[in-house]
Amino acid sequence: MAAETAVPRALSREDRLARRRRLQHLLQRILIYTLLVLGALIILVPCLWMVSTSLKVEKRLFDQPPQWIPDPIAPENYIEAWQKLASIAPGLTFWRIMGNTLFITALAMFAEMFSASIVAYGFARFEFKGRGVLFFIMLSTMMIPATLTRVPTFLIWKRLGLLNTYDPMTVPAWFAWGPAYVFLLRQFFLTIPREMEDAATVDGANPIQTYFYIMLPLVKPAFLAIGVLSFQGNWNNFESPLIYLNTTQMFPLVLSIKFFQQSLSKEAPKWHYMMAMTTMMAVPILALFFAAQRYFIEGLTVGAVKG
Amino acid sequence: MTSDSGAFATYYPTLLRYAAVAVGLAVLMYGVYRLLRWLGVKREAATGFALVLPWVVGFLGFVLFPIALSFYLSFTEYNVLWDKPRSLEDPLFNYKRALSIRVVELDEGQRPLQVLGVLESPSPETVRFRELDRIRWGGKTYLIGATDPFFLKAIWLTLRYAVLNIPLGLVGALCVALLLNQKVKGIGFWRTLYYLPAVLPAAAVALLWFWLFAPTSGLINSMLKPVYNLLDMQPMGWFTEKDLVLPSFVIMGLWGVFGANTVILLAGLKNIPAELYEAAAIDGAGTWTKFRHITIPMLSPALFYNLVTGTIAALQIFTQQAFIPTNRDDGWFVNWFVYNEAFNFGRMGYASALGWMLTLMIVVLTLFIFRSSSAWVFYEGMRRDRGKG
Repeated sequence: MAAETAVPRALSREDRLARRRRLQHLLQRILIYTLLVLGALIILVPCLWMVSTSLKVEKRLFDQPPQWIPDPIAPENYIEAWQKLASIAPGLTFWRIMGNTLFITALAMFAEMFSASIVAYGFARFEFKGRGVLFFIMLSTMMIPATLTRVPTFLIWKRLGLLNTYDPMTVPAWFAWGPAYVFLLRQFFLTIPREMEDAATVDGANPIQTYFYIMLPLVKPAFLAIGVLSFQGNWNNFESPLIYLNTTQMFPLVLSIKFFQQSLSKEAPKWHYMMAMTTMMAVPILALFFAAQRYFIEGLTVGAVKG
Repeated sequence: MTSDSGAFATYYPTLLRYAAVAVGLAVLMYGVYRLLRWLGVKREAATGFALVLPWVVGFLGFVLFPIALSFYLSFTEYNVLWDKPRSLEDPLFNYKRALSIRVVELDEGQRPLQVLGVLESPSPETVRFRELDRIRWGGKTYLIGATDPFFLKAIWLTLRYAVLNIPLGLVGALCVALLLNQKVKGIGFWRTLYYLPAVLPAAAVALLWFWLFAPTSGLINSMLKPVYNLLDMQPMGWFTEKDLVLPSFVIMGLWGVFGANTVILLAGLKNIPAELYEAAAIDGAGTWTKFRHITIPMLSPALFYNLVTGTIAALQIFTQQAFIPTNRDDGWFVNWFVYNEAFNFGRMGYASALGWMLTLMIVVLTLFIFRSSSAWVFYEGMRRDRGKG
């Protein structure tokens, strides 16, 4: 107090202002961190509950109040769930389900990425009549709901005699069925200076060589971005297997879980098994996300921001 | 790891056709290129057209043809077990059946079904009007009957879901994006955490929330127990009770807000040049003014993009519904309803007509958003090409 009277009034006011600003800043920080933690809780509590449930024994599922730490811990749920499933659907073992899922995902993903990048290259780099119209049509197809084409597409596959095969969810990927991916890659191709290709052409490279040796390496980030999105989309694809597959042995992961829910979990819900299966379905996607977060975010944002 | 022959037997025919289609497509591309060159088309144009050919073929075969077929089927009766669709005496029958509404007065002692009667239209089967709702007005009871009350209820539910979910989701995502745009320690960690719900498969999210919302011993009802005791009420039957289906789905949908929308908005926030804020601060603008006159306009293209994709997605909610068995009476969304008409009841013609109505809804709403965008979406002068995606 004594020091304050010694300094001139003006300085003291400034000092007070600075202190107030510092206090304001502190309060702001506290608010931000509180909100961050609150949001994190909203996200984490359901996720942790999923894992916690997956490790419980059946008779302790409905304990009140809810138990966060399972007692006893039952990691065998992760194996038993699949054994139970195989017991009602002969042949539908865990490895078979994984094989089915990976088979669909790998085939669809490869064809999807390959065709999308070729088509995007065509749209980005070559002048031809009707290019603008075609590109506009392609973007408009994103508005067409699956409901509209579901029935006729089913009838086409029925006529081809390919129901209950993996064809409907893999083969059409060759035809650049994801307009969003084409759009994303085209945006990237457009950012690459034309001189790069011109130089290659002067050196005598044909368009295919230019594409593979010059363009593709340059758009690698975008290519990986659609790779991540494509993996996620095909791994989680539920609708086509639901419509086209009848034989239980051929079911991919998502459909197997649905099958479990409808049969074994119908009368008395086996939440411990279902959460174990759900966790196992989420883990590969989460791992991919942590490993390739950058590409994941790139893929999500490019349409909106760079568009 | 078992490599039983059963698995291989289902894989390799697809693998063969997969390879055959790839080779066929490559040959077709080359053939079209040669043909165009032979016709005297310039080299660049011929190459470009050959490169986009996979999409053109796919568009014709898997988009345009199905759309045309669906249009034709919507005027026919087609059970999936039949060889061919049968023509209808009244071509518009499917549409009439979906949308017919009738309001009649209900006298004392009359049965609703008798009063409402049948659809007068030359039709393959008798279609009765069923009770959709009843209104009491001026001492009289009026019945609202519809030939397909379930479809109308599904549309009503879907529209309400969209109207609640889209704006709430957008505002929520904006708040989270603003929060994640602050300078805090370990921001990478927070962001990764906040994107988590967007990464989880929709099926996993649906099952998880179905469990969280379980009526007697779900986590949410357990946590709300003190509130129930305080208000002296029964635990809420989240996905099971008629009036709670919609809120349950909206809450589950909002959980995903932290994900994809936030990523896009955050990228948009980062794209706003800092000079704008500095200039505004020199002019004495406060936090709110900066937010209202810089952040919102600069972010409007990203908001617009989220609005369009959000609308299209909300009207087509499907996977979540498949994992959450709700009551057909008041808990089905349009997309799930149409799927069931086609693949559980085998009514391909009727389902096609319903599909067209959902499409119409989506197109009208999307065009409305596009038309309104000129009023509120701001594009920087140098970036005139708007994000049509």
